[in-house]
Amino acid sequence: MSSLSEKAEQIEENKNNISEVIQVENLKKRYKNVNALDGVSFSVEKGEVFGLLGPNGAGKTTIINILCTLSQLSSGQAYVNGYNINNQSAAVRRSIGLVFQETILDNHLTAEENLYLHAMLYGVSLKEYNQRKRELLKFCELWDKRKMKVETFSGGMRRRLELVRALIHWPQILFLDEPTIGLDPQTRKKIWDYIFTLRKKKNVTIFLTTQYLSEAENCDRIAILDHGTIVAVDSPENLKKMIGEDIIFFRTEDNQLAEKEFQKKFAKYPIKLIGKELRVKVDNGDKFLPVLVKAISPRIISMELRRPTLEDVFLEITGRKIRENNKKIEEETEEKFDLSSLFSIFSPFKKNNE
Amino acid sequence: MNKKIKTLYIIWYREILIYFRNTAKFFTSIFLPILILVVFGTGFKTMFSVSALGYDFVQFFFPGILGLSVSVMAISSTISAVWDREFGFLKEILVSPTSRSCIILGRILGATTTALIQGALILLIIPYLGIGFNKFLFIKTMLVIFLISYGMAALGIFFVSRLKKMESFSIISQIIFAPMAFLSGAFFPLSNAPSWMVKIANYNPLTYGIDALRWVILSGSLRKEEILIITSHPLLLCVIVLLIFNLVITFFSIRIFNKSIY
Repeated sequence: MSSLSEKAEQIEENKNNISEVIQVENLKKRYKNVNALDGVSFSVEKGEVFGLLGPNGAGKTTIINILCTLSQLSSGQAYVNGYNINNQSAAVRRSIGLVFQETILDNHLTAEENLYLHAMLYGVSLKEYNQRKRELLKFCELWDKRKMKVETFSGGMRRRLELVRALIHWPQILFLDEPTIGLDPQTRKKIWDYIFTLRKKKNVTIFLTTQYLSEAENCDRIAILDHGTIVAVDSPENLKKMIGEDIIFFRTEDNQLAEKEFQKKFAKYPIKLIGKELRVKVDNGDKFLPVLVKAISPRIISMELRRPTLEDVFLEITGRKIRENNKKIEEETEEKFDLSSLFSIFSPFKKNNE
Repeated sequence: MNKKIKTLYIIWYREILIYFRNTAKFFTSIFLPILILVVFGTGFKTMFSVSALGYDFVQFFFPGILGLSVSVMAISSTISAVWDREFGFLKEILVSPTSRSCIILGRILGATTTALIQGALILLIIPYLGIGFNKFLFIKTMLVIFLISYGMAALGIFFVSRLKKMESFSIISQIIFAPMAFLSGAFFPLSNAPSWMVKIANYNPLTYGIDALRWVILSGSLRKEEILIITSHPLLLCVIVLLIFNLVITFFSIRIFNKSIY
């Protein structure tokens, strides 16, 4: 008997010690005739900030919905915190916190009531709830506003409250679906500060989606998703290295002479005259700059060192810019029993958008 | 088990919180039935003389209006289910580790509670209507109101589980509820109605609900034979039918909700 329970304990322990908190193998999702996800595989390690980068409709939200058991997969395997998402969905749901793309809060209730309802649904004890509420609300600078109704909150405050709500049950993994969408740059930066401090403090794994390339740079590792498949997974630095060299643009008083001199001295680097500027591709841009200045005799008018950005990476891998693609894979499920469409012809009600 | 009850309580608590925050709805829900009762009832009373009927018109009319207004309240409270779906809050609940049937039961009980509150407030005017009433009858009436409003709330959840838009709700509630209300015997006694109407009314759970209300409320002021004239089913049958209806509709609304998630 005792050996059996020991074994069970060991298994339990193994589950807690796994280094890969999310494992996804060959995940597929079909909506009618569209392959929203076409064989996605990746894994996320404990404690890292993992970003899913892709244009609108690439399938980012679909992946999050599947991992959070809100949507069913068509085929493949996925484990979250060591639990299979197909048949251990309750255990999966207990180990995750989720901030949705759209703001979802009870507007007529106060910030505190929103948190209370959430904590109780997750079975947090009252004592723990009070303690965490204080800690998290103070951390996100909402403590003074806790008795206010959410409808009076600004966009940034709502997002922060959602972050607090997603954390109040101490999840192992925090899912953030476009956490900074629709926020001003200042608030956006603040949200990121919170996310990173949290990671350090609580050792929580963070899985997020974004379409902002500048934000993806903050992640430990990113996966680039395009047309329902993952085209690259690596750290932002490595991805940028994949494209290679730094680029130096410079202008001199005599570009032709400068080009000739350059070719003579640095034969291994390609140089090209583009418009009024010379473009050079080099390995180590910051160290090469002073060398270049000394090596060229015509007076230099301007000089610019450009590092490859994730935008360049995206461009290189998919062959187009991230913003070019706005084709949406419609996630519409079939129209179910909804009389409004049927009666809309003779309905006196005007649709009022709040 | 303990956890399930907690979930149920939290979902219920949320419904109640939202109900009380919405003060406008709270007051109109009480104002309207009283208005109908006082103006409509007094107006009708002048048409029928007491001697011809053997009972006061208000005594006939009051249980019907009470039954209908708690039903309307119960059904319209289920609008929060559509609201949650349209504004995404349903996802927040679904992603939590809770039992789905508890979510539904919590919702139904929340809507039932709002109806019970309204019913109790309407019952407060009973002394001014000349109907004999006491505490014991009050408790019995509340039990009947619970049976009616639970069934109507579950019916509401059953129909709204799949709705995605708010405007569909008012259409649904009118299409489903208006015929139920007119064929329930709340406005006229079914004993004198044509047989086709009686046949349909016999399949209407609200008919049994309103009969049950009449039996209980009027038991203090009218004799059994007098109540028999204005009701079409005995009390025991009414309670049994309501219980069975509530069980069946709960089962179906849980089923349709589970199916509608993905």
